[in-house]
Amino acid sequence: MAEDDRNEIRRPDPDALLALAEKDRRGKLTVFLGMAPGVGKTYAMLSRARRLCAEGIDVVVGLVETHGRSETAALLETLEVLPRRRAAHRGRMLEEFDLDGALVRRPRILIVDELAHSNPEGSRHPKRHQDIEELLAAGIEVWTALNIQHLESLADLVAQITGVTVRERVPDVVLKRADEVVLVDLPPTELIERLKEGKVYLPDSASRAVDRFFRLGNLTALRELALRRTADRVDDQMVDYLKQNAIDGPWATGERLIVCVGSDDLSEKVVRVAARLASGLNAPWLVVSIERADREVETPERLRGIEAIFRLAEQLGAESRRVIGQDFVDEILKLARREHATQIVIGTRPRTVFERLFARSLPDALSARASGLGVHLVTPDKAEAKRRLPRQVIWPVQGLLRSVLVGLGFVTLTTGVGKVIDTIMPLPNISLVFLLGVLGSAALGGYVSALLAALLSTLAYNFFFIDPLYTFTIAAPHEVFALFVFLAVAIVSGGFASRIREQATIAGTRATALQSLYDFSRKLAGTAKRDDAIWLAVSQLQLSLKRSVVFLLPRQGDLQMAAAWPPDTELDVTDMTAARWTQDRREAAGAGTGTLPNSRFQFRPLLGPHGIVGVCGVSHQGDGLDLNAERSLTAVLDQTAIALDRARLADETLEQAARLEGERYREALLSSISHDLRTPLSTITGAVTSLREFGERMEPESRQDLLQSIEEESGRMSRFVANLLDMTRIEAGTLKPKQDWVDVADVVQSAVERTRRYAPARLIETGIAPDLPLIRGDSVLIGQVLFNLLDNAIKYGGEEAIKVFARRDGPAVIISVTDMGRGIPPEDLDRVFEKFYRRGKPDGRAPGTGLGLSIARGFVEAMGGTIHAESPALKKKGTRIVMRFPDSGTVTNGSPDEPVAYPGR
Amino acid sequence: MNLSRILVVDDEPQIQRFLRPALTAAGYDVIEAGTGAEALKAVATQAPDLVILDLGLPDMDGKEVIANLRGWSDLPVIILSARDRETEKIAALDLGADDYVEKPFGIGELTARIRTALRHRNKADAIPAVIETDGLTIDPVHRLVSRAGVSLHLTPKEYDLLLLLARHAGRVVTHRTLLTSVWGPAHAEDLQYLRVFIGQLRQKIEKNPTDPRIVRTEPGVGYRMVME
Repeated sequence: MAEDDRNEIRRPDPDALLALAEKDRRGKLTVFLGMAPGVGKTYAMLSRARRLCAEGIDVVVGLVETHGRSETAALLETLEVLPRRRAAHRGRMLEEFDLDGALVRRPRILIVDELAHSNPEGSRHPKRHQDIEELLAAGIEVWTALNIQHLESLADLVAQITGVTVRERVPDVVLKRADEVVLVDLPPTELIERLKEGKVYLPDSASRAVDRFFRLGNLTALRELALRRTADRVDDQMVDYLKQNAIDGPWATGERLIVCVGSDDLSEKVVRVAARLASGLNAPWLVVSIERADREVETPERLRGIEAIFRLAEQLGAESRRVIGQDFVDEILKLARREHATQIVIGTRPRTVFERLFARSLPDALSARASGLGVHLVTPDKAEAKRRLPRQVIWPVQGLLRSVLVGLGFVTLTTGVGKVIDTIMPLPNISLVFLLGVLGSAALGGYVSALLAALLSTLAYNFFFIDPLYTFTIAAPHEVFALFVFLAVAIVSGGFASRIREQATIAGTRATALQSLYDFSRKLAGTAKRDDAIWLAVSQLQLSLKRSVVFLLPRQGDLQMAAAWPPDTELDVTDMTAARWTQDRREAAGAGTGTLPNSRFQFRPLLGPHGIVGVCGVSHQGDGLDLNAERSLTAVLDQTAIALDRARLADETLEQAARLEGERYREALLSSISHDLRTPLSTITGAVTSLREFGERMEPESRQDLLQSIEEESGRMSRFVANLLDMTRIEAGTLKPKQDWVDVADVVQSAVERTRRYAPARLIETGIAPDLPLIRGDSVLIGQVLFNLLDNAIKYGGEEAIKVFARRDGPAVIISVTDMGRGIPPEDLDRVFEKFYRRGKPDGRAPGTGLGLSIARGFVEAMGGTIHAESPALKKKGTRIVMRFPDSGTVTNGSPDEPVAYPGR
Repeated sequence: MNLSRILVVDDEPQIQRFLRPALTAAGYDVIEAGTGAEALKAVATQAPDLVILDLGLPDMDGKEVIANLRGWSDLPVIILSARDRETEKIAALDLGADDYVEKPFGIGELTARIRTALRHRNKADAIPAVIETDGLTIDPVHRLVSRAGVSLHLTPKEYDLLLLLARHAGRVVTHRTLLTSVWGPAHAEDLQYLRVFIGQLRQKIEKNPTDPRIVRTEPGVGYRMVME
């Protein structure tokens, strides 16, 4: 057992190994960390680069500001420096780091100075650390430099120490995820010395702030921060090493922080404190904002506040979550249990005397119930404590006026009614009527009305009904008591009634939202087509969000707009770049995100069960989405993604079916060809070998018959081969019919004669109109078509005479071949022109190749004509195939022939 | 001499057209049938000695004709088939057809197969005392196999295989038949056994095992022992 335990411990932590594997693919990040400008970070970085460069390693400078320092500039000389990108910013030309250039150049190591730099507006990422993240993701090793005061979690501390608020900040995660941190240190006195010698670059404009900044005390404090951060990192690295190598160590385990925030100022401090705490404990932390389920009214300011806090927390390495619940304490504890949290961090303010009397504070309530959890309280600084925020505005001002009017109205009404009742039949407890009024105003006007009505009712009751009447004085002491009881009852019941009303309203809106979502999903389930699903989603989102919505789907390797509302929405280059980013990274991009925030849209990936199926963009006008909109957006996108995935699968299934159909078709083709070729071949081979082997022993007639069968079968085979070749020409699109003037009568005659040669027994009648114009076409092809039609008529057309007619129809010429056979069922009239469609003989055998009519159609259409089948043709039987050649010019046949009948032999 | 009567079952009139004079000239009495039903009726009423059967018939599958026929007759059946109907051909052989000829075929090949099939029928399954072919002698009574007077040592499986082929000498024996007879029904699909043992057998009995003269391969179908 003990051994088992040891084995368990000896096994490397899989998560740690996984993280290591993930790191292998990414480029390494080395951060040169200093306490202040001027300590020599850039110099250290470049000297190291030069050393590696001398060893033949591909080191390239992406961007380094020398600030006119000659020693630094000298170091740069031997290194390859990437050209900068020129960007216009507020009318000035700025030279910026060229991210795309760097990605194309792909050096082994790239140096990009000043990690905390903010990119000018219009860049792909607002911050340089995001550029670097992209470089790392592309597998490029990056060296960069950072001063400790730019670290996000230290921003407030730095401001406290130095009195200078740092604007350009870098999230702690960036430093935390760095593979290597090189501390560049210099004693503060020496730094001040260098400053005095002018060796440190400082912008002129900020000289006074700079003087304040570079004081010995400040620098010492910053140096301590830098040293401590580096030491923390070294500690982390050691822990990582121990974990990866399965060495049991004393690393902190199992600590997990939950941090409760709201939209107030204090929350920012709570988050920063929690960040330091978490980093000290080496614990993961979760930032949570709890929203009251019964308060649907979220003001945009509040939402923005919470979003800002969440962004900050995420930058500092936290996870964030929004939770909805009735009871704050309950929700926090539930979450803590679910997340296995060990500590809770909340903010608290000094409370007023009134608050202390009437309500238990959140920290008190929490500590009373949070058994086994550590609770950290963060208090505001003195300056902040005084600047109390106004209490959350739950009701808009417009509503307030209405509430007051409702309250007043009800009290007036109840007073009147009370007076009337009192005069007609005096009641001992007329106060109940007033209570009714309070409930009424609660139901109609909400909490404010109820409160107002309760107070006014108390006064009115006193004034109008308690002796002495029409004064606020009360004669009997027990009346005083009764009045207070009434007030209490009125306030409480009014409160409850208004709460119920509020909840009913919210439940109503929720139900509507849910209903609409449900309708959407039902409709979506009924659509199998991609476009239908997309349009459903667009209209649903447009309705629920009241914003422009675009959907983009991947087509031919790129994203293309599939649907948009309003329909004339157009995406510019920035929007498209953001959309593509979202598609490639499967992350949100565009407005309100860290990538291309200049885009007007925020793009979200549509993630189906089999990967990304599209991108949805929602326009961002200033505010982010509120919680409800966010929820409905997520739900709609999820469902749409699944529907699209389904549609894609359906498409694939169809494709598969088509492929299968094609395969079956090819099989039928092969089997048909092999049968049609083999039968004559067998006959020929058999007859020839029979003649050779037994020729002498045969009767002369038998010999003659065998020879004739050889001849016939050879002819059959050659016709079949010709048909196949014709078909191939049609299929391959290489058929180029001649456009000669063709005399229909000639063509008909020669086709009939050709048919007669191989089927002498059949009767073929022809009737050709005398006024027939010449038609444009290829006489050989038309002849072949006619031959095929006659061949079919012989095969299927029964025993009666076959009729060939040609006549004029306006400018067009119509040629028809009619037989008196079984005919074709109406549903097959078009199918007979399909390849390998064969109408079987009565015995079920398919005698033909199934090519004749399809070749006929191919030829006729290639010459610009049409062909169709009619059945029954005459006297309720037979088939007529009709060809129509359109107007072919003005030339008419110069010598009109009489209708000619070619009687059969 | 009584002429052997041959029933030709084929729905292609062209095939009938040359088979009738050829087979008549070769000394057979030819009767014809165009469908499976006609064929079965002709076998029952006109007592042919052999059936030449095309597998593609308009009314029923040639295999059905064989299955039906084998229920009440052991008449020799030679199949006319096309190469693209290999599986049907094998199925027909397994159902009890005696041999096959692939279309297109020469009349000499067909008449040779007819002679072999008729000879077997006439000998009425009697096992000859000694079978000889291409210098190889098989003595089933003493279970001896020798080549040019030199006795060969065969394993029991090899011997069984050889004897089975010898009993059907001149006719094709399908893989399935060989496998089920020699190894048992459980091994009907174990083609690799057969490949190995046929290889070993050829090493022992053939003059030149790389160019086998006695045991010929019928690709995809089975093996045939050639009698001179």
